[in-house]
Amino acid sequence: MRDVAIIGAGMTKFGRAPGDLMDILAEASLRAIEHANVVKEDFDAVYVSSMLAGEISHQTAVASSLVDRIALVPAAADRIENGPAAGGSALKNAFMAVASGCYDMVLVTGGEKMTTADTDIVTDLVATMLHPTAEYIHGATLPAMGGMLARLYMECYGLTERHLAMVAVKNHANALKNPYAHIQRACTVEGAMSSAVIADPLRLYYVCPISDGAASLVLCPLEKAKKFTDKPVRIAGLGQATDVQALQEREDPTVLKSVKVAAQKAFKMAGISADDIDVAEVHDAFEILEIAESEDIGFFEKGKGHLAVEKGLTALDGKLPINPSGGLKARGHALGATGVAQVVELVWQLRGECGERQVKNPKWALACNFGGFGNNTVIHVLERGW
Amino acid sequence: MEQKFVGFKCKACGRVMSTKHDRCLSCKATEFEEVELPKVGKLTTYTKLYTLPQGIEMPPLTLGIADFSGIRMLGQVSTDYPKIGMLLKPVWGKLRKLNEKDIYGFKFEPLE
Ligand SMILES: [Zn+2]
Repeated sequence: MRDVAIIGAGMTKFGRAPGDLMDILAEASLRAIEHANVVKEDFDAVYVSSMLAGEISHQTAVASSLVDRIALVPAAADRIENGPAAGGSALKNAFMAVASGCYDMVLVTGGEKMTTADTDIVTDLVATMLHPTAEYIHGATLPAMGGMLARLYMECYGLTERHLAMVAVKNHANALKNPYAHIQRACTVEGAMSSAVIADPLRLYYVCPISDGAASLVLCPLEKAKKFTDKPVRIAGLGQATDVQALQEREDPTVLKSVKVAAQKAFKMAGISADDIDVAEVHDAFEILEIAESEDIGFFEKGKGHLAVEKGLTALDGKLPINPSGGLKARGHALGATGVAQVVELVWQLRGECGERQVKNPKWALACNFGGFGNNTVIHVLERGW
Repeated sequence: MEQKFVGFKCKACGRVMSTKHDRCLSCKATEFEEVELPKVGKLTTYTKLYTLPQGIEMPPLTLGIADFSGIRMLGQVSTDYPKIGMLLKPVWGKLRKLNEKDIYGFKFEPLE
C-alpha cells in the first residue's frame, strides 16, 4: 500500500445556499483544486457523497454531472451513499484507490442541498435510514433516537441537561470564529436550556440545523504530493464498522460499538492511540453524540465524557479540542458533505490555516463520521505529512 | 384476527431476537421460530417528540424502549407522563399514515 496525502481542501459556507446542489458541489470542488494547486492537472477519479440528492434535489448520478460541470471528464466518477456517513465513505474509497496504486489524482466532494425541502419532509427522509419495521414505522426520527440515548445517559452515567448545553455553548463559540459555519451566534447555557423542546430531553440547541453545503478534498500519493504543496496531510489510519441496526437490539444501547471498533481499527493502522490525538471533529448531530463518541473513540472513560466537557478539556484551548469548526451543531450538517467537511477542517488545522480558531500546533487529528443512528461509522486519522 | 406479540428464536442456539434477521446474530443459523413474548414490559428510556415526521399528527408523540424480560422493543407509549421503570403492555393499534396508508403495529400502554 502507498502512503496517501491530502493536498488540498475547500468548502462552501454552510447554511442556506442560493444555488442548487450542482452549484455548491462545483464551488467546493474548485476551491479544493485551487487550494491543492492542481488547476491544470487531470484527475483519475471523482467520488461524490450525497445522501438525498435524488430525494431532495431530484437529481441522480450526481458524480457524472459534476465531472461535466468542472471539466474533469473522462475521470471515473461515482456517487457514494452511506447515510450521513457518506462523506467518510467517499474519502475511504478515494484513499483505497490511491493507496492501491489504481489512481494517482482523486477528488472527493460531498454535498447536500437540504433547505429547499420542508422540515417535516427532510425529517422523514432522514428517518428512513432507521430500522424499517422496528423503528421507522413507529414514528421514530433521528432526534427521537438522540433523545432516548440522552435519557439513557442521564439514567446510567449521571449526565444532566446542563452538560448538553455546555457542548452547544462550546460549539457555538467555535463556529463564531469559522466563516464557513452555518450558525454564527453565541449562546449561553441558560439560553440553550430555555430553547424549544424537539425530542425531550433534547432542545433546539442540542440538535444540529438543516444545512446546505459542500466540501471537497484532493488526494494523491504522498511521494507525489511535494510537487504541489509543502504541507501534505497524510491519511494515517482508516476504520469503518457497523452495528446492529436497531438501537434497542444492541447489547448495551449506550455503547456506540461501530464507533469503538472503527476507532480501534483506525488507531491500529496509524500505529497510535487515542491519547496521541491533538484535535478531533466528531459527529454531533445531537450534543449527546459528541459526548458518547468521545468516550467510545477512547478519548475519555465510558460514562465520563460529560465531565471532560465540564472541565473544559474539549474547548478550543483545552487538552483535546473537539469540533473547532463548530461541529454539526454550529458549522452545520449537510448530510453527504459532513464527513468531508470534518476532514477539510482538520486539514486546515494541521496546516495552521484556521485563523482565530486555530488549535495550537497539532500533529495528529481524528474525524468521526457517524451514519445511521450509530450503525455505520467511518473514522479517519490524519497526520501532518511534513 | 388477534395479533401476536412475538420475537424470533434461533432454533440452533435459542437466542431470541426482537427483529427479523435471516441469520442468527449469535451463531449464524438460519432457522427460527416465532415465540410469544411476555405481556408486560418495563420502560427503559423514552422521548417526547415535538417535531414529527410526515404521517403522524398531534405532537407530542411519546416513544420509548421497553424491556420484555430481556427483549427490548421500541414503540409509541400511550401516555404524556412516561416514567422510567413504568410497566407497559403491548396493544395493537394504528401507528401512522405512510403513503396514504394506515400502518398498524404494537403500541405500549401503561398497566394501571
Ligand atoms: Zn443462534
